[in-house]
Amino acid sequence: MERKRNSHYLIDPDPVTLMDILSVRNLRKHFGGVKAVDGCSLTIRAGTVVGLIGPNGAGKTTVFNLISGFEKGSGEIIFKGRRTDNLPPFKVAQCGMVRTFQIPRALTKMTVLENLMLAPKAQAGERIWNVWLRRKDVKEQERQIKEKSRHILRFFEIAHLEDEYAGALSGGQKKLLEMARAMMIDPSLMMLDEPFAGVNPTLSQKISEYIDELRGGGMTFLIIEHDIPAITRISDRITVMNEGKILTEGAPDEVKQNREVLNVYLGGEG
Amino acid sequence: MIEYVSVILPYVTTILLISSIYAVFALGLNLEWGFTGLINFGHAAFFAIGAYTTVMLNISGCPLVLSVAAGVVLAGLFGLLLGIPTLRLREDYLAIVTIGFSEVVRYILLNEEWLTRGPFGIHGFERPLQDVIPYQYYNTFLLILFVAILGIVYLSIEKLVRSPCGRVMKSIREDETVPSALGKNVFSYKLQSLAIGSAIAGLAGAMLAFYLQYIDPGTFKPIETFHAWIIVVLGGTASNRGTIVGALILWTFFSATKFINPYLPFTSHQMGAFRMIMIGLLLMLLMMYKPEGIFGKKEELALSD
Repeated sequence: MERKRNSHYLIDPDPVTLMDILSVRNLRKHFGGVKAVDGCSLTIRAGTVVGLIGPNGAGKTTVFNLISGFEKGSGEIIFKGRRTDNLPPFKVAQCGMVRTFQIPRALTKMTVLENLMLAPKAQAGERIWNVWLRRKDVKEQERQIKEKSRHILRFFEIAHLEDEYAGALSGGQKKLLEMARAMMIDPSLMMLDEPFAGVNPTLSQKISEYIDELRGGGMTFLIIEHDIPAITRISDRITVMNEGKILTEGAPDEVKQNREVLNVYLGGEG
Repeated sequence: MIEYVSVILPYVTTILLISSIYAVFALGLNLEWGFTGLINFGHAAFFAIGAYTTVMLNISGCPLVLSVAAGVVLAGLFGLLLGIPTLRLREDYLAIVTIGFSEVVRYILLNEEWLTRGPFGIHGFERPLQDVIPYQYYNTFLLILFVAILGIVYLSIEKLVRSPCGRVMKSIREDETVPSALGKNVFSYKLQSLAIGSAIAGLAGAMLAFYLQYIDPGTFKPIETFHAWIIVVLGGTASNRGTIVGALILWTFFSATKFINPYLPFTSHQMGAFRMIMIGLLLMLLMMYKPEGIFGKKEELALSD
């Protein structure tokens, strides 16, 4: 089933979206004697969905941690033309890159709405003195953020849960919440760590549709996933990792036919 | 009857005075622990810094209001200084470093006699409006003043924790990876929380000095930190209202047990130990049956996971 590429952009792709949004060169990270990531290079074009697959222990999550700044290794990471490999995670996020976690990190003791309202960057009321000195601005901004949160919650169809503590949500709903929260910072690159794991088929289908729709709006995705049918369905390109190295990279159909990939990962099911 | 009131009233006033001081003190800790998840076991140090700065400046001629302001600012500044090297540590290390810091402060106060008069303590400093208010009404005046201060501190913290800034603090309390991944400077928020909490403890220190009219290093033993912890846990972690009620309960309990002492076969020294045993028992029962405290929300219980 061939998808209609580029036909569903809601806005005309600006020149930036045609560039490489992220390029990673020669990334390395060792844990003791284990080479978790061993000279990994990859490039992601803006406005595409890139799947990152590979057997357990291939180093996919470590690559995520390195790109998002949660771990430091060696190598070069350039995001939107800016070196980010030396930045702490919060600064990387401020550049417009947001990630989710393999085990969803919903803030369980805060409500769903609070989870979302936390996210937007540069809120006036986050500066302590503004709480007293710029009451009006803070109030107005809170109103806007709340509106935006509700809009996004509706998009993910969890608006009815806004006042629930996030701890009361099911595993799948927590995944949606995490994606919704990530959306609140208007990222240019969204990195999802196993968005389909442990999710029922209808929800999985829904997540694919969301990703497709957001991609149509110009957002770029890097997605770790083991659910091969799902990831091949939504990805433009797929990168395969094994033992800390990039095994191959290409369009989903090419990758599925690749003999090496079949050997180490897919086990001949392609 | 009138005689009865004239005995009871000053007694109640005393309990309310000391409760309001400790409520302010514990509100500072509640901001740090209850809302930001910082384990500060050295809160008493900032109590001491606030009290000593206020009275030392005042006896060397500085106007009272400025002395108090300096005490508050200096306590906050020390919170900031302590936070810079420690807040990047894991939370249990923070606990160890802060308890060490509070003992360092106390020993400096004890040994630097040229500055602090050491174990002799300091008295003879001014109290707010002491020349204007007649002596027999002074405690009543002080109570009104302290309740007003408590009210302002309470409302300010409530405003803060309900703001976007407070939201970030609460997210740090729960899982600091999340705010980091969303672009929040976690370290900076922890630092602000510790500095403000410490400044509030400094304010409480000045209040304590006005109430006692005398301070010495023994006033600021580590047990004071744990009084604040008892108050916060009892009232309900992350509940400012609970903290105030917790302070009231603790000090009512402390005073009430003084009354029943004659009816128990304990010396006053043993009674002190007995009171702490009772408090320990109370906390155990609380942890078993209402771990979130009196006003805490079960869903927000900071200890559970």
